[in-house]
Amino acid sequence: MNKTTHFGFKDVATDDKQSLVRGVFDSVASKYDLMNDVLSFGAHRLWKRYTIASSNVKAGDKVLDIAGGTGDLAIEFRKKVGDAGQVVLSDINAAMLDEGRKNLINNGIFGVEFVQLNAQQIPFADNTFDCVSIAFGLRNVTDKDQALKEMHRILKPGGCLLILEFSKTDSEFLKKFYDFYSFSVMPKLGGMIADDEESYQYLAESIRKHPDQETLKSMVLDAGFGFCEYHNLSGGIVALHKGIKV
Amino acid sequence: MQHFVLEQALNYLIDQGNADLSALNGKTLYFALEDLPINVNFVCTNDRIFVTTDTSAGADVDIKLKSSVFLALFQGEDLTELLRQDKIVIHGDVKTAQLLVDLLQQIDIDFEEVLSKYTGDIVAHQIGKLAKSFKASDNPLEALKDELTTLLIAPTKSKLFKNKDA
Repeated sequence: MNKTTHFGFKDVATDDKQSLVRGVFDSVASKYDLMNDVLSFGAHRLWKRYTIASSNVKAGDKVLDIAGGTGDLAIEFRKKVGDAGQVVLSDINAAMLDEGRKNLINNGIFGVEFVQLNAQQIPFADNTFDCVSIAFGLRNVTDKDQALKEMHRILKPGGCLLILEFSKTDSEFLKKFYDFYSFSVMPKLGGMIADDEESYQYLAESIRKHPDQETLKSMVLDAGFGFCEYHNLSGGIVALHKGIKV
Repeated sequence: MQHFVLEQALNYLIDQGNADLSALNGKTLYFALEDLPINVNFVCTNDRIFVTTDTSAGADVDIKLKSSVFLALFQGEDLTELLRQDKIVIHGDVKTAQLLVDLLQQIDIDFEEVLSKYTGDIVAHQIGKLAKSFKASDNPLEALKDELTTLLIAPTKSKLFKNKDA
């Protein structure tokens, strides 16, 4: 019997999820930043700014940004680590990496390396990075536990993992508004702006299937991290999990 | 949010003050301020301090003290003397606690100089003067609250305007 996993609210064969996710991001890559600004009312920039501030990254550090897409985090990490450091911008999707490359050049940022990789099999040696980040990417990974183990493996002892991801809000009011917005407004905006209603329907569904804050914290600790804590942002619509490898 | 600010401040001070964290690398210190809602672990690793509310993992040492005592440590107050006066409670490896105190005391930074980059010289000097008067108080937090209240209700009676009254 074939193993299955979720793709939004649908059950699909585990082996098929990766290519389905790739299809979504191939489709939205060129409008990704614009859509993020529109759908989050610009808040994604604040969430990412908080993530960078929480990273404790300093000059000379090595940073890997997984599912880094259009390079928002990589740009800021590059400024922090300076010429003595190293930033690798990675994504499983070539179209997203291309957008990232263009975005970095447009921002005058050079010296960032680009690697197309699968978070479940990261092609770097053990204990390589001071910081690994993944922003709005983990929910698209098929085997999240395996990906977290890989992130733990490539971090140096004392290294920091940052997971910025949509999460669960406890506020009943926010929940109702967010459900209406996610399922009734977001896909329509996706259809109008990116000409792809279906991908934004997947986005809304995949957020609901993602583990809540406490479950993800347990997963991070189970992957081998010595410490993990999370901070809710915008009432828990988004959460930043921070793991420390000891 | 308090621990986020504390983490940023500590790492900034260590960085700007050229303090050497290597002796503390690999150590975890549980740190509680009795007069503020701060109960955190200082995870010293990779030449930086992470301040985390995840205190489920054991620490090498538990340190409990008041915020005024924490500030006193920055100014070179002797740990043994504070312990003798019961102003600080330490459980566990006292050597690790001493290493933290040594680190705090290595930080040689002119706060007014740092502040002046953001506020200008005059405001930084006024804030510095105010801070020094609070430090002299037995309860700096209460003194700060009183001063803020005065500033809101009767600004001319505030220490900030003291020289102008004279």
